[in-house]
Amino acid sequence: MSARLASTEKTPIVEVTQSFRFSAAHRMHNPRLSAEENRRLYGRCNHVNGHGHTYRLAVTIRGPIADETGSLEGRELLADVVRQRVLERFDQANLDDLITPADGVTSTTEVLTLVVWRLLDEALPPGRLVRLRVEETPNNFFEMDRGDRG
Amino acid sequence: MIRVTKRVEFCAAHRYVNPRWDEEENRRRFGKAVNLHGHNYVLEVTIQGTPAPDTGMVMDLKALKDLIGDTVLDRLDHKNLNVDVPAFADRLPTPENLAVVIWGLIAPRLTDGGLHRVRLHEDDGTYVDYYGEGCRS
Repeated sequence: MSARLASTEKTPIVEVTQSFRFSAAHRMHNPRLSAEENRRLYGRCNHVNGHGHTYRLAVTIRGPIADETGSLEGRELLADVVRQRVLERFDQANLDDLITPADGVTSTTEVLTLVVWRLLDEALPPGRLVRLRVEETPNNFFEMDRGDRG
Repeated sequence: MIRVTKRVEFCAAHRYVNPRWDEEENRRRFGKAVNLHGHNYVLEVTIQGTPAPDTGMVMDLKALKDLIGDTVLDRLDHKNLNVDVPAFADRLPTPENLAVVIWGLIAPRLTDGGLHRVRLHEDDGTYVDYYGEGCRS
């Protein structure tokens, strides 16, 4: 018995999605707008003392199955990359201390999704990250694919 | 074009052992997964097609459920994947390989291009998607 696929078969390409959670505080606020405009634009998410969410993150990677492990190549590293790059940064933290004006105007989950994409994409092998889903609550979620980067 | 998904569950045992490695190396690479253990798998089979004018259906979901039962569940449910499933004689019974094997069991029974995706959940929060080789870039 060999763990190798028969040599006549091509190496299948699969996608694996793993989920993670982190808890963070934030306040949506655009400093270039007046207090009144911020309240109108962001509603209760503009609450002056901030609020928080348990964010759920689903990370999808794509690549060939490694013969010797039967798993997508490098899958065993994914949880460590997500922990080091994202969870250690954002879990039990205030997003507004971490998201800069260069990232976006305020800590919307759209902006957070773009930041998480950059943090993961630069740490994973080229092209490996293909989809990201960030759930701010079970009712509000945000997704991007590799093809969506503009 | 509409995509239609049937979800089923099955339970199976497996262990990860690469016969080219000694016991120590297997334990180092796979941890406790070298021991025989089991999962409640959730399988989502997605087909695609155009609804037939006379039925309004891409495919009768009962027929799809029966097809999954005959091709997949009869072979995998309440089985030891390493011992009972010939496809795993030469590959590890990971969710990645399971998704590929399941695709191979179902696709020939559908019209060409009818099978869109096999999604296999091994544990809550982790799943594998397989779209067939070269079907999606």
